[in-house]
Amino acid sequence: MAYPYRHEKETVVLTRGFGDPRTRTLEGWRALGGYKALGRALEMAPNDVIEVVKASGLRGRGGAGFPAGVKWSFMPKDDSKQPHYFLINADESEPGAFKDRELLRWTPHQVIEGALIGAHAIRARQVYIYMRGEFFEPAQIMARAIEEIYQANLAGKDILGSGVDIDVTLHLGAGAYICGEETALMNSLEGRRGQPRIKPPFPAVAGLFGKPTTINNVETVAAVPHIIVNGADWYRSFGTEKSPGTKLFNVSGHVVRRGNYELPLGFPMKEFLYDVCGGIRDGRQLKAVIPGGSSVPILTAAECEDLALDYESVAAAGSMLGTASVIVMDDRTNIVKQVRRMVEFYAHESCGQCTPCREGTEWLAKILRRIEVGQGTEEDLDTLLDLGANMTGTTICVLSDSAAAPVASSIEKFRDDYLALFGRAPEAPALAAAH
Amino acid sequence: MSSRADAPERTPLQGGNEGWAGERGEFESLSESDVRGSSYVGKRPPEGGAAGAACSYPFQVAERDPDAPLFEGPYRERLEKILSRYPEKRGALLPVLALAQELRGYVSPGTMDEVARVLELDPATVRGVATFYTMYNKRPVGSYLVQVCTNVACNLCGADDVMEAFLDAVDAAAGDTSEDGNFTIIEAECLGACGFPTAVQVNERYFENVTPEDVPAIIERLRAERGANGKEG
Amino acid sequence: MANVNEGSSAADMVTCTIDGVEVSVPKGTRIIEAAEGIGLGIAHYCYHPALSAPAMCRMCLVEVEGAPKLAPACVTTVGDGQVINTESERALKAREGTLEFYLFNHPLDCPICDKSGECKLQDFVHSEGRARGRSLEAKRVLGQDDFGGDILYDGDRCIMCTRCVRFMREIGGEDALCVVQRGHRSVIDTFYDEGVGENLWAGNIVDICPVGALLSKDFLHKARVWDLDRTPSVCASCSQGCNIYLDGRDNAVARLRPRQNAEVNSYWMCDYGRYNYEWLNRQPRLESPLVGGAESAWQAAVISLVERLKALPSGTRVRVVGSAVLGNEDNGLLARLAEVVGDGEAVFRSSRAADEETCPGFPALRRRRDLAANVKGLELMGFSRVGDDEGHGGLAATAGEVLIVLGDDLADLPEGFARGTELFVHLTTHASAAASGADYVLPVTLYAEQEGTFTNADGRVQRFWPGLQPPAMARPAWQVLGVLLAGLGDGAAPADAGNAFLRVAQLHDAFAGLSYENIGARGALVNELVRLGAGAVEEG
Repeated sequence: MAYPYRHEKETVVLTRGFGDPRTRTLEGWRALGGYKALGRALEMAPNDVIEVVKASGLRGRGGAGFPAGVKWSFMPKDDSKQPHYFLINADESEPGAFKDRELLRWTPHQVIEGALIGAHAIRARQVYIYMRGEFFEPAQIMARAIEEIYQANLAGKDILGSGVDIDVTLHLGAGAYICGEETALMNSLEGRRGQPRIKPPFPAVAGLFGKPTTINNVETVAAVPHIIVNGADWYRSFGTEKSPGTKLFNVSGHVVRRGNYELPLGFPMKEFLYDVCGGIRDGRQLKAVIPGGSSVPILTAAECEDLALDYESVAAAGSMLGTASVIVMDDRTNIVKQVRRMVEFYAHESCGQCTPCREGTEWLAKILRRIEVGQGTEEDLDTLLDLGANMTGTTICVLSDSAAAPVASSIEKFRDDYLALFGRAPEAPALAAAH
Repeated sequence: MSSRADAPERTPLQGGNEGWAGERGEFESLSESDVRGSSYVGKRPPEGGAAGAACSYPFQVAERDPDAPLFEGPYRERLEKILSRYPEKRGALLPVLALAQELRGYVSPGTMDEVARVLELDPATVRGVATFYTMYNKRPVGSYLVQVCTNVACNLCGADDVMEAFLDAVDAAAGDTSEDGNFTIIEAECLGACGFPTAVQVNERYFENVTPEDVPAIIERLRAERGANGKEG
Repeated sequence: MANVNEGSSAADMVTCTIDGVEVSVPKGTRIIEAAEGIGLGIAHYCYHPALSAPAMCRMCLVEVEGAPKLAPACVTTVGDGQVINTESERALKAREGTLEFYLFNHPLDCPICDKSGECKLQDFVHSEGRARGRSLEAKRVLGQDDFGGDILYDGDRCIMCTRCVRFMREIGGEDALCVVQRGHRSVIDTFYDEGVGENLWAGNIVDICPVGALLSKDFLHKARVWDLDRTPSVCASCSQGCNIYLDGRDNAVARLRPRQNAEVNSYWMCDYGRYNYEWLNRQPRLESPLVGGAESAWQAAVISLVERLKALPSGTRVRVVGSAVLGNEDNGLLARLAEVVGDGEAVFRSSRAADEETCPGFPALRRRRDLAANVKGLELMGFSRVGDDEGHGGLAATAGEVLIVLGDDLADLPEGFARGTELFVHLTTHASAAASGADYVLPVTLYAEQEGTFTNADGRVQRFWPGLQPPAMARPAWQVLGVLLAGLGDGAAPADAGNAFLRVAQLHDAFAGLSYENIGARGALVNELVRLGAGAVEEG
């Protein structure tokens, strides 16, 4: 069985059930030891669960990499005055990211088990799984899994006789990338336009419906049951000191074997691309890599040479690990076109609240479209950079920054691609047949 | 677990399964149902099943009838279940709009007004929310809404050509509905299936690894499906 | 050191430095408010003091020392010891950059825009924007949309501050407006054809729109705002007494706008009052005194009228009819005249609506049942209401009586209705058929043409100022009546409106102690209500 490819260098923890339809079912998940962790966690005091997750060093897998246990510890310790909410961010929509979809459709119970443990830890009686609306198939699978857990008393009242009540609700979005931003997600769940909120107040103080709320990515909670069963030290045996554990690397673009690979953090980029993923397609050369989804700065082939895939190393190289969604571009790639396409995406997905983002994303897109068809000038590059600077750090959320990042990094690192379009490149790359 | 070190060989199309990721040989021993999970899911009941799952869509959509009553029979039951999951009625707005679209095919001003009434909101509130999200169709679409991802990961692998191929195959401009009423083709943002370029969403189904060459067969398959179900538009 | 909120105890105060000025404010004060307190206006679009703050226009970003990002002054509360800089290089660059984004789509059609001259985008771009825009791209074109009622929406000019949306939700009481679509495709709209015209408070969205996106059809292309004369005044259309600006051009009212008064109307007024101003522009006006139907000079008219009044047999019944759209001064001296001349009765007529309409977001503001400004003032001075809710009837003339009518145009009464009276004096702004046979018809000014005060339904005495030039020989009624009283030996004629008010205040306990000085620009409660305590203001 393979999903879609398996590589011997993988460390299989979260992806164990990928490609095996039996793992989907409650029965199948239990056969793999599923829901033991929940049983154990329910016997523990909420704070003790938090301590274990803290000790494991598990970092949020949604992009920011914030330590999950620390985030949980921000929640009030008393839930008698107001309800707490636990949200699972399954709104995966970052271009390049396709890891949560696989976790959801192959291992729904893994996600649910982690969610229940997290809810217990932060004293929430309601879990909302906010899944992007386009994920019809994963939604059906999750819906079925939710029915199974209610039938098996793994949700609802007095779970497994522990006295703990936790409800699980699957909530579908309706087509808005920005709802992956945690406060936008909360607005959306409240039936509002998915616009990010100003912080403070932070979600742990006033989140969903104004109540203390914790929100975690699908992959983050999927790791939790394994940590509870095997212990924090076991988890720390993978990865690096500051980036412990395994991570799903979802690779797309011009590699031989695209897919999801579970690797310990700190895995070498070069080995990842050329061994695990089988190298660049059609015998081409590597031109560029976006290591963490479209929102992070582009890296050149040279920058990937000695890069390790963990939060710190990628940051040191001037980009971000983000969702570990690796987009690979070969030497035929028209960088300007791809940057234009990404910027158009951000323009399409900007919620429109903040002026620098609402107007800036569209402005960048218009300039890039012009450049792409040969009507640009070098002055446009200066304008692009300055507009990008004006869009960075000036808005409520970071969508605006994300739109500016690929523009700035591509101009800095692939200036010749732009110059070629002005007919001024010293060595014009051959772009005729490129995508 | 086996490992495939070689570049994937393209398996020739063998009829019936065009556009499904499995046909490329990536899931050697799995059926489409195994991958999609349809045998596990079964048929989702119109009243939504368990309340925790009722805020998602039932699988089998949709006689789309723009005049279908919204909150009657099993759908009233589903509405009640949805409402039970949120501390404020407004929280139910997205799932209730989805329910309405499931029945009617799109969200008309009249539908927004009805939704507003049932959730005790002002109609303009509902309009503001409904127009924020791209999945609510604000006007009727073809029997098959085909969304072609042209974002970066798919784009690198030729998504623009796939888009072109769809438009050619149904002979309609992007966003317009084909003359037979069957197809509306639109460009989509990332569908979260970047490892399977080009990803195409057709109503609730994903088609993956789609190449321009696959497109005529996919269209034929959908047309045939439509004919077989006796729903000729 | 500035202390913008004296009276708070030191423990509740925080001290910060804004642009080098140290300021102490109560805990929880937002930077934009603290800056306001030291006279420093921080640029903003989406923020409005009476609405929630979404911090989305990104204009009020200021540098807080030690913070990694610029902070929106409209939502960031002042921290003790904070050093805030609104003019730092980063803050200036952010504002310049954001302003440039605004102009990416905003048309430069100031020459044909009604807002030009009071447009905040124009103001800030001129003061802090780039001298030249860099955009080479075509601007989007959306055109105009009729929002119903008086409101027209120009989508191209809209800067998406959403003040209007929040106003309708938070003050107007319904989500009548929404943002449709998202990102750069966002526009403001109503629910399809539904419009905002039904909402009594909708007109305010034109005022709070920082640019020319929301336009008043009534004011459309009527005047350049720099040609308007702006006069602080009080709305006369109901007894709420909303503080307003009376904006006039070519000696006619071009529009009314609310003037902030936290006690009365916040920043708002209702549409009924807002658009009910044509009566102030009505022509032709009575320009000259008429004695027995013939034009006369004031002096001759007054002298002969004084003689007529002096010659009245004792015991002659005197009836004066006051005006609820004229001031306490005018009506107070009229009531005095009735006393001086003889056995007087003071009445008034005024139309009344069936119901009150309360502003949902500011319940102290109501369109009152009494559709005139000074009903309370008249009542406090002993006038009693006659006639019906249309302001008609109740004035049948009695043979042998003296009838002195102020302001009331007697529109419901037939010509010659006062035949048989001993003396009929009409102090009026417009000639009236019913008064064509009056012994004296004396031209007086409208409240908008004179200084004076109204007493609103809650007993708040509020000043208004002359915004229009009166025609020809028209004089304020208090002046005419003051001269008549002087002629009758009842004191000296008041030299100005303030003097007339003091005279009235001496005559009526309710106004005791009040003067133009202590009424000021915000108004003061009459004594009766002061004695009863503030609770009496919120009747019912």
